[in-house]
Amino acid sequence: MNLIRWKTPGFDPAQELERIQQEINRLFDLDYTDRSMGLFDRATSPAIDVVEEEDHFTAMCDLPGVDQKDVDVSIAGNVLTIKGEKKMSTRSEKAKVFRKEEWAGSFQRTLSLPRSVDPDKIQAEMTDGVLRIQLPKREEVKPRQISVNVS
Amino acid sequence: MATTSKELEARRTVRPVGNIWEEDGTVMLRLEMPGVSKNDIDLRVENDQLIVRGTRQVEDENKSYVIRERARGDFAQTYTLDDTIDRERIEAKMERGILTVTLHLKDAVKPRKIEVKAR
Repeated sequence: MNLIRWKTPGFDPAQELERIQQEINRLFDLDYTDRSMGLFDRATSPAIDVVEEEDHFTAMCDLPGVDQKDVDVSIAGNVLTIKGEKKMSTRSEKAKVFRKEEWAGSFQRTLSLPRSVDPDKIQAEMTDGVLRIQLPKREEVKPRQISVNVS
Repeated sequence: MATTSKELEARRTVRPVGNIWEEDGTVMLRLEMPGVSKNDIDLRVENDQLIVRGTRQVEDENKSYVIRERARGDFAQTYTLDDTIDRERIEAKMERGILTVTLHLKDAVKPRKIEVKAR
């Protein structure tokens, strides 16, 4: 960004328009490359969604191309750790590469779980490149419906 | 699925990221599409265009999100095929959220070795 001198007096609309034009032209000149590095956009910790439902939390994590056996979900205290490695796709040495955006390497993500989660009942599964972790809440914190008998 | 094509048109799409390379007479596309199952892939060739679309299962927007970082939207991208690609031989495979498309080069453009005969 250029530093533009602050002009106090006189506002020239024609000049302003010209400046806008220059600015836009500069935007086009920028060597715009998509900075996205796939779903591992966030350096080495994959993006995550956590949804709270009545009796459980669901954590979802996009891990495209990651083999199920290369993912390690563990819990220590109330800290859930998703760890794993994404392997580089194989191609021959003489391949002519046109675009390379896929990321490979190891990643890790930790989540502090609320106390209401029962660490013994956590389940995880991988489908279509998405890791889904079910975090059930403890029995005592689940909302309970008590039926009242009216006599 | 109960979504009409019009609804699909209106949905937000993102370009899937991936690798594209040429090797052994084929052009390979490897596109990251997490959350898209094999049945939700729409891959077609129209004229000179290869159209890729992956529909993601829509999560309920009204759920209470504690953390929300994942990108939303369907995956869509159109690639222009040139004359070297054999339109009749396109293979695709969906595995662990990655779509792999194999485009074969026409035999006519593949490098061919001509033997020199000695007399």
